Amino acid sequence: MMKAVVGFITGIVFVGIAGWNMADVMMLREIQSPYGVEETAARIQRNIQSLSANGWTLSGLRNPAKAIAKSGSNVPPVLLVEACSTKYSGPILGEDKTRILSILMPCTITVYKKDDGKTYIGLMNAGLMGKMFGVGDIMAQVAKDQVIFTTFDPKKPAPPLIKIKPGGGGAGGKSADGC
Amino acid sequence: MLKFNYKGLSLAMAFVMSLGISWSVQASDAKAPDKVPTPSAAADVFGIAVDEKVKKSTADHSKFKELQVDFKDGPAVTKACISCHTEASKQLHKTKHWNWDYINADTKQHLGKKNVINNFCTSVPSNYKFCTACHIGYGWEDDKFDFTAEEKVDCLVCHDTTGGYKKLPGLAGHPNYKTMEWPPHSGKFRPPTDLKRVAQSVGKTSRATCGACHFRGGGGDAVKHGDLDSTLTNPDRHLDIHMDAKGLDFSCAKCHTSDSHEVAGSRYEPTAVDDKGTLIRGSKDERNAATCVACHGNVPHSGEFAKMNEHTDKLACQTCHIPAYARGDKHTKMTWDWSTLGEMDEQGKPKKIWGSEGKVLYDSKKGNFTYDRYVIPEYQWFNGDVEFTLADTKVDPTKVLKINSFKGSPDDGKSRIWPTKVFRGKQMFDKGNNTLVITSLSDDPKTALWKNFDINKAVEYGMQYAGRDFSGDVGWIETEMSWPITHMVAPKEDVVDCHQCHTENGRLAGIEGIYIPGANNTPLIDKLGFLAAFLTLVGVLIHGAIRYFMHKRGG
Repeated sequence: MMKAVVGFITGIVFVGIAGWNMADVMMLREIQSPYGVEETAARIQRNIQSLSANGWTLSGLRNPAKAIAKSGSNVPPVLLVEACSTKYSGPILGEDKTRILSILMPCTITVYKKDDGKTYIGLMNAGLMGKMFGVGDIMAQVAKDQVIFTTFDPKKPAPPLIKIKPGGGGAGGKSADGC
Repeated sequence: MLKFNYKGLSLAMAFVMSLGISWSVQASDAKAPDKVPTPSAAADVFGIAVDEKVKKSTADHSKFKELQVDFKDGPAVTKACISCHTEASKQLHKTKHWNWDYINADTKQHLGKKNVINNFCTSVPSNYKFCTACHIGYGWEDDKFDFTAEEKVDCLVCHDTTGGYKKLPGLAGHPNYKTMEWPPHSGKFRPPTDLKRVAQSVGKTSRATCGACHFRGGGGDAVKHGDLDSTLTNPDRHLDIHMDAKGLDFSCAKCHTSDSHEVAGSRYEPTAVDDKGTLIRGSKDERNAATCVACHGNVPHSGEFAKMNEHTDKLACQTCHIPAYARGDKHTKMTWDWSTLGEMDEQGKPKKIWGSEGKVLYDSKKGNFTYDRYVIPEYQWFNGDVEFTLADTKVDPTKVLKINSFKGSPDDGKSRIWPTKVFRGKQMFDKGNNTLVITSLSDDPKTALWKNFDINKAVEYGMQYAGRDFSGDVGWIETEMSWPITHMVAPKEDVVDCHQCHTENGRLAGIEGIYIPGANNTPLIDKLGFLAAFLTLVGVLIHGAIRYFMHKRGG
């Protein structure tokens, strides 16, 4: 009996340590992009616009590296593509118990360079986060859309980067009000 | 009884008043210098207010009678310049900037812009009017240019301080003297160059004047070098610690010193290793002054960074101190594929396709391009020797051709690992003769590629113009050209971190002949290490077991 209890506790400790160490990897995903920072961001923007049927609109493009440069430091290029879907945000914001999740809005996809000179895409693991916060069904849909956002067709030419001010309108500059 | 003498009183009062007025006038005169308003640009030198112009130069060119003329063209300005600066043109006639011609003393290769072929716009012959927008002369429009003409030296392109002097492609080194649409078909019109104003405002060279050509090499801003672009005109300290406009504010000439107008530093014969210590300005030592060591010495690190001095026998300073190039928010061109040129739009007209970064990805005249910014350099051993593939060099089209080969090895004792931009291309070559070709791109209306889109005709004319044999068969060959990275020096807090090299697959992965702790491993040493650790563990366990049992027995 004693052996079983010790084994059980050891198992819990082991899983706890493993979970703690893997939390960042589980909650955030990183994908390498075959394109440069601007083109990757532009292709993500185009993919987001292609899912307008799911309510997705662009709600901003931020360049934190530029702001850092202005304040007297230097970091490799980073672009934050911001998007939102009223179809998904509506139900979350409609409930008191999930309204706090507005802290994660708008949905941000980050595109950045690392010291290896390659371009990467950073995403929130929407599926896992949804399960953790009790909105698993909605976020499972978001996770599916995220896959489309980051699936690129090399046959399509590079689109122009849409330099949309954060919070300044969605697709066509009209429909970002819901987020 | 005394009679009051009114006359005397009035005389006395007049005397006293005159004294008072006189004292007052003297006093105000004494204060006069403090009250004189100083010019807004005045500066204080040794306690004396000095006009900015006076402070910077002993000559105010706007006061020169020779320059108070409405000049008809550039050579007319030069004639005025050399009426005082009598030896200037003669000095310039001996320079690479003027001749575009250079013979490497070691390799005996005939180099210089007019002789080499690169993988950007490829070659100068037959394209003089276009290319010589970056020549320091006027009127080089064909191979009959008079290199001895003193008035053809362009003083203004280097000494302009107004920013209003621009030599446009297609004008054979002249600025525009009439109103001109620029860029072509843009609907924007550039007024005639105000030569009088420019001539009266000449001064020292600056980042802007050098950059007018060197930032725009390869046909546009940031295209060619990667570490030179217009963001260096007014950079912050993170882009370049030396040129930081609010800090040290170095001009190019601060490092690239000149003697009789010959400027230190050359891409044709670079200095890869300088271990001769600091170079005192004015010394008779004629070595390249534009090296890091020339100012910082052989042992540049001290205190907590002293360990870094142990790297200098293997690494160029630039390898650590320039973590990436094109850091100034301008994209540099990384590849150029000429083989796709000539595609037209639906109406049969030349087309351009723009990329996400706002740069042209496809141009019917030139083919496909790619760009990047904040680019991690490629590293290679380099001892300063460069061998070029010239017009008569036989090439192997089955392999990627190196337009310039950087020589060097870990064993020759005179090489360092250098950061480089490797520009990759696919360009025209003579399939029959296996040589690179001269291509007519811009000048001749009947054959120029950019006017006719006929590559065969363009190469045929280019080769004929250059007096070279051409088989008549144009092919495409993949090429690489290396550019040493030496500008955009980062401040010390932004240098390459240790872990970026001292790790598996780090920045220097694949560089031969160097052992990097943390990056390289030797299987035998690894096995011995693991064996030693395992035996230690076994020893500890045995020792522990013995003590345990001995304790039990004794207990």
